[in-house]
Amino acid sequence: MSVAKILEIAARVGRVTRRYPYQPPLLTPEFRGSIRVDPSRCWGCGACVRICPPNALTLKPSGKMVALEYFVGRCIFCGMCAEVCPAGAIEVTKEFELSATSIEDLRTRLVHRLTRCSVCGAPTWTEAELRAVVKASPITEEYAAICPEHRRERFAKAVALRLGAGE
Amino acid sequence: MSRVNVARALRAIRRSIWVFHLNSGSCNACDIEVLDALTPYFDVERFGAKLVASPRHADVILFTGPVTRESLPKVVRAVRAMPRPRLILALGSCAVGGGIWWDTYSTIGGFKKLEEILRESGIEVDRVVYVPGCPVRPEAIIYGLLLLLGAVEQKARGSEVAVPEG
Repeated sequence: MSVAKILEIAARVGRVTRRYPYQPPLLTPEFRGSIRVDPSRCWGCGACVRICPPNALTLKPSGKMVALEYFVGRCIFCGMCAEVCPAGAIEVTKEFELSATSIEDLRTRLVHRLTRCSVCGAPTWTEAELRAVVKASPITEEYAAICPEHRRERFAKAVALRLGAGE
Repeated sequence: MSRVNVARALRAIRRSIWVFHLNSGSCNACDIEVLDALTPYFDVERFGAKLVASPRHADVILFTGPVTRESLPKVVRAVRAMPRPRLILALGSCAVGGGIWWDTYSTIGGFKKLEEILRESGIEVDRVVYVPGCPVRPEAIIYGLLLLLGAVEQKARGSEVAVPEG
């Protein structure tokens, strides 16, 4: 190709370069970036943790708390967590400028408080999940606060009483 | 272990960064995005970045892939061949945290583990910038490179938020 022809094409096409840091990036409507978890809507149920293919979302229990940790450095931006979230708390944003000089800057934590079983005091579920379950189903808060083992015990006792067993 | 004045070295190479592309077993998506960043469309050469064929000529390694066991000795040799200061741009979720291969038997799971292996064999890495993305966008590569050179502010901050009461 002759230089004259190249110059002719260059004059016709003009500048194609995106001047990115000074110009907005080329984001299509389908682009998926990092996720954002809404702290006021998340239950801490762990549905996103179960579905996450690379284990970027993890639930880390520590004493009275359980933390939902999002490590963006392992996220593959599939958006499956947003799809399964029962509370609609996860939003897929268009954020892609995630670079960091330290790997700890890539971790975000959402700390949930755990409720305790009213019988044995063992940690059961998160406060937000308990509230959501009580709101959505006809069980009382007093019943919901008991751990599964003591619920079973209570149920067995109730059945035994009805069948005529003594105390 | 010798120490290198990274800030001084960065001032010296600011307008001509020679990059070497090192693939440690990635799926090729990040590699294609690296090529994309070098095309006239995104044109990383605006900042003086130029692809070179040998780590001995390179200022920055564009590191992709989760470091497969097969590639590990070659990766160590390539990083060892690099002159100081060793600046590394870990591109893609695989290179940053192991990505989808985080617990596979045949990979060591990202740059963090590789850094430990390099330190054990006496190879120091002076500065690393982690660029998440699957694959990384060409813009994200440019952003990471500018962050490495100190031209842009870091946006990502680790955070710990408690769920509100009630």
